[in-house]
Formats: sequence, structure tokens, C-alpha cells
Amino acid sequence: MSGDPSGKGSGPEKAPADGDLSARLKRLETQLEGKRPSAASDRPARTGTSGGAAPLGQAMRLSTEFIAGVIAGGILGYIVDHLFGTKPWGMIVLLMLGFVTGIYNVMRVSGFSGKKN
Amino acid sequence: MAVSIDPIHQFELQPLVSLGHIGNQQLAFTQSALYMFAAVGIIALLTIVATSGRSVVPGRLQALAETLYEFIADTVHQATGADGKRFLPLVFSLFMFVLILNLLGMIPYAFAVTSHLIVTFGLALVVILTVVIYGVAKHGTHFLGVFVPSGVPKPLLLIMVPIEIVSFLSRPISLSVRLFANILAGHIALKIFAFFVVQLLVAGAWGVLSPLPLALTIALTALEFLVAALQAYVFATLTAVYLADALHPGH
Repeated sequence: MSGDPSGKGSGPEKAPADGDLSARLKRLETQLEGKRPSAASDRPARTGTSGGAAPLGQAMRLSTEFIAGVIAGGILGYIVDHLFGTKPWGMIVLLMLGFVTGIYNVMRVSGFSGKKN
Repeated sequence: MAVSIDPIHQFELQPLVSLGHIGNQQLAFTQSALYMFAAVGIIALLTIVATSGRSVVPGRLQALAETLYEFIADTVHQATGADGKRFLPLVFSLFMFVLILNLLGMIPYAFAVTSHLIVTFGLALVVILTVVIYGVAKHGTHFLGVFVPSGVPKPLLLIMVPIEIVSFLSRPISLSVRLFANILAGHIALKIFAFFVVQLLVAGAWGVLSPLPLALTIALTALEFLVAALQAYVFATLTAVYLADALHPGH
């Protein structure tokens, strides 16, 4: 799992350790930094929500996150009813819980609850 | 006038080679499997052969492969931090697989593998099982901290923990349904609007209107290419985000 997937490295082919790989990458980065005129400064700036495919991808997530919460609740309710014979109640409670989860998911994706996930 | 249309027909599985039966269910090598093998072949060609030259100034294919690789490496690094690097091969493979299958599906008369829920759900299960197995192996019972949001008052945990559990279980569903629904709906919409052109043309004077759905079909095709790339990107990003939970379960 920890090999160099790009196949670009000229080092040992047999799976270098993660620490070794990141040390090599860090060394390369510092070497590159010295030769690069100004491009390095804008790297960390685009981690947020601005630009590119990130906001579009987030928009795509919103609807399915909600639906998935409800579906997960429904499936769980069905399983609980099936296992414990509590015919309507498991479905009712867990479907409502799924609904709440769906809204919670949407809030989390849209950044309402403070943490991005 | 009475030209019939079946927009679902394009998603039917056609067995190419029969491998026998289990009960009444036929086991077969379908065109879906063929497309998956083709996708793997294309990816191997792109990533192994194109970069085998290892030239300092990359050619076209090598530049493409390197751009895709750097793009995913960036995404994984942002989502998981430095120690998420070990998951880069997994995320990159999933991204390329979904991307190539989506784009193959955009070729006229080709089959869109990712329009089948079972395929996307299988991919989502790979992701979630990796998260659970790696998380439990690395953190043990500490992994259950995924279900306990930090900074929440104690009494509220009674409600929040069940919500977090259902939320966790909804992840493979949302991951798979999103990809499958987007591709399926897009292909059906394309088929129906393209069919409007034919239907108007055979309806005599109404044929004057046929450029309208034609324009819409062209616009939809462009949109579908965007969706194809975007869904692969979203799949990869979410994989990285979920894997971050396995690495740091305490939120």
C-alpha cells in the first residue's frame, strides 16, 4: 500500500517506508523552493472553498447526503423490525432519526455546523 | 408517427460468454465486465506506458498522467494530512476507474458501467470497509470516537451519537447513489431529448421545431461530460475525507 504509485521515483522499487518517502519529498520540496520564483506562495491559499471544482462538487453532494440519511434510517428500521418483531415502531423511530441525520448531513456539508466533513 | 422509445434499454446487461448457472441465476461475462477490463487497460496504458519514458520534459500523455496524479495527490493531502499518503494508491485507482468508466459511457452506443447501482455500491463498500478495518486495526476501540462529536454537552450526546451512527451508515449509500443516479439520469435525459428530434422530424410540419431539442441535446452532452469528470472527483474527495476519519477518529 505504501509504494510510490507514480512510478517516477528512481529510488528503491521495493516499497519504501512512508517516513522515508515523505522525507525524500520534503527534501525535494525545499530544493525546488529555492529554484522557483514565486509560485510557491499561492499553494496554501487554495485550500478553502474558492475556485475550481470544489464548490461544484459540494453542491452535488447536498441532495444525495439528505436522501442517503433517510434511506439509511429506513433500512435500519426495516432490519430492526425484522430482527426484534417490533413491527411499525422501529421503522417509525429510525425513519425519523434518518430524517434528522439527513438534515444534519446537509448542515455539515454546507458548513452550518462549523466543522467541515 | 408511432416510433417507440425505450430509454432504459441502453442499461441492459448483455451476457457475452456464459460461465454456467447458480440456481436460476446465469453467471456470465457481460459487456459491463468487458468495459471494466477496457477501463483498467486504458488506465494501465495511461499511467504505466505513458510515464515509462520518465522524461524531464513530459510528452502529452505523460503530462496528462502527471497532472491527474498531482491533482489527486493534492486532494488526498488536503483531506488527510501527511500520513494519508499511504491511501493515495487506493484513492487514485478509484478516481481513475470511475473517471474512465464515466467517460467511456459518454461514447455513443457505449455502455455506462457506473449507471448500475451494484457497481458503484461495490466501490463504496471498498472505501467504507477500508475505513472500518484500518480504523479498528490502528485505533482499536478508540475508533468508536468517530461517533462522538467533540465539544458537545453530555446530555446532547444521547441524541448526537445515534445521529452520528446513522450518518456513518449513510455514507456508502450517499457515495454510491450519487454517482449512479447522476450517470443514469444523465443518460436517460440525453436519450429522451435526442429522441424528441426524431419524433418531431417524422411529425410533418412540426419538424420546424426539431432544432430546439437538438440544441438541448448538444448542451446536455456538454453537461454530461462535466458531470462525468465531476462525479469522479467528488467520489475521490469523499473517499479521502472518509479515510481521514480512519486516521484521526476523534474528529
